[in-house]
Amino acid sequence: MKDIYILGIESSCDETSCSIVKNGTIELATSTSSQIAIHENFGGVVPEIASREHVKNITLVIEDCLKKANMKIEDVTAIAITYGPGLIGSLLVGLQAAKTLSYIYNKPLVPVHHIAGHIYANSLVEELKFPLIALVVSGGHTELIKMTDHFNFEKLGGTLDDAIGECYDKVARIMGLPYPGGPKLDKLSKVGSPTYKLPIPLNDDSYNFSFSGLKSAVINLNHNEEQKGNEINKADLAASFQKVAVTSIVSKTKKALKDYNINNLIVAGGVAANSILREALTDMCNENNIHLSIPPLKYCTDNAAMIASAGYYAYKLGRRAEFNLNSLSTTTLE
Amino acid sequence: MKTLFIDTSSDYLYSGIVIDDKLVSFIKKKFEKDLSKEALPKIIELFDKANITPKDLDKIIVVNGPGSFTGIRIGITIAKTIAWALNINITPISGLTAMAISCNTNSFKMPLIDARRGYVYGAIYDKDNNQVLEDSHIELKTLLTKAKDLDIKAITNNDLDINIKKESYDPDILKIVKHFEESDGINPHLVNPIYLKKTEAEEKLGKR
Repeated sequence: MKDIYILGIESSCDETSCSIVKNGTIELATSTSSQIAIHENFGGVVPEIASREHVKNITLVIEDCLKKANMKIEDVTAIAITYGPGLIGSLLVGLQAAKTLSYIYNKPLVPVHHIAGHIYANSLVEELKFPLIALVVSGGHTELIKMTDHFNFEKLGGTLDDAIGECYDKVARIMGLPYPGGPKLDKLSKVGSPTYKLPIPLNDDSYNFSFSGLKSAVINLNHNEEQKGNEINKADLAASFQKVAVTSIVSKTKKALKDYNINNLIVAGGVAANSILREALTDMCNENNIHLSIPPLKYCTDNAAMIASAGYYAYKLGRRAEFNLNSLSTTTLE
Repeated sequence: MKTLFIDTSSDYLYSGIVIDDKLVSFIKKKFEKDLSKEALPKIIELFDKANITPKDLDKIIVVNGPGSFTGIRIGITIAKTIAWALNINITPISGLTAMAISCNTNSFKMPLIDARRGYVYGAIYDKDNNQVLEDSHIELKTLLTKAKDLDIKAITNNDLDINIKKESYDPDILKIVKHFEESDGINPHLVNPIYLKKTEAEEKLGKR
């Protein structure tokens, strides 16, 4: 069978990224321009600044990626692009570049949903085994999705308010940790103990999550201790927060796996890099004989390799976009 | 000589292909929210109508600002990608210069783009399109004061409260392209929007 090379482009938030993936599973090259250092100054991603950086970097990352892969666009089978969801001003820079390349080189344009990309990041490690449950945990998403085949997504549940990554960053901010605070909170929690009592969020029969109450509880706890003149033990607070947040995610995931009698779990999104979550999911899967796949860190955060990988399976299914494809800040996974 | 001109700095798409002193295809159409969706398909139609492909292009002229931030990025990204792929240069130009060039008058010219809250993007050019006051993000009042002793005509498509002669902007694509005939342009990687205005976040950070 002829090899299929997909060039993927991702610009939905603060990373401008281009990647070439062979047959959906082998990453040949990726070039990513990260803006973390820029947005750090503002305590979070500033959409207008992100868009400005994307337009500066877009052709540079494409050129760099091709150089690394030692390929020309002529050698590529198709071009995959994140069309949404994400920051609209950011998305449309990658979109214009992808559409233009597709036109000039006469290559099929394959539209990829950002969350599909996160899920398919796992294909870069091992091929997906169906049926599976995908747990998507990132700065913008907390979702449980059932898949019975490629690009067959059934959303079982999701967050009713804040996404888990958003909650991590906000709690980290309350604790005075610089942006992006999630990973710093994770690290800090390792030297603490879960001594503070925090409520377990949305402890019900659904597959939904809710993290805004937990965030408020941390704010209140912080405030009350301050009022009493007690110094907060940040490491203990981090450990207490992590325990509750992770327990909520793991218990809902376990419920979904049990209810649907599924024994493949894949984890996707930036929060999949969280060490405590990884440990807890690994333990739960070992106890229940579930096959777990968590991609390495570089595939958890936003990157174009995952878009190219998802793009391969979408390409094989005949998914194509016209030149009037538009970016969408919100869009359902399908 | 085959030149592609792109200006997406307002909610209009102004684009055209000039082949040897002749404007062979062009579009001047308002798109607003649909610009991201429609810009490339409409530019493709221009190539088809001109009966050439992008590979035939010698040069791209793109408006790099000022104006709608999102709009500018759409046109620039398309221009950068085409030019990079074809290994040709881009001549980035100011939209205010394009406005001045398109206006035939024997007086001074003051192209204006509404930047809201009493501010405009504006500049002053003489009748031969030499810049007298550089492109600025400036209070309209202040700019008008600077122009008060000049015989000057404003060029704008916005509803601005001004008491001088004015005309609306209708790009003369052929004239703009000819004006930059001698320009060799620059490497597409180096072409970036000129916003003339920092983001609010940067302004706030600066004040702290």
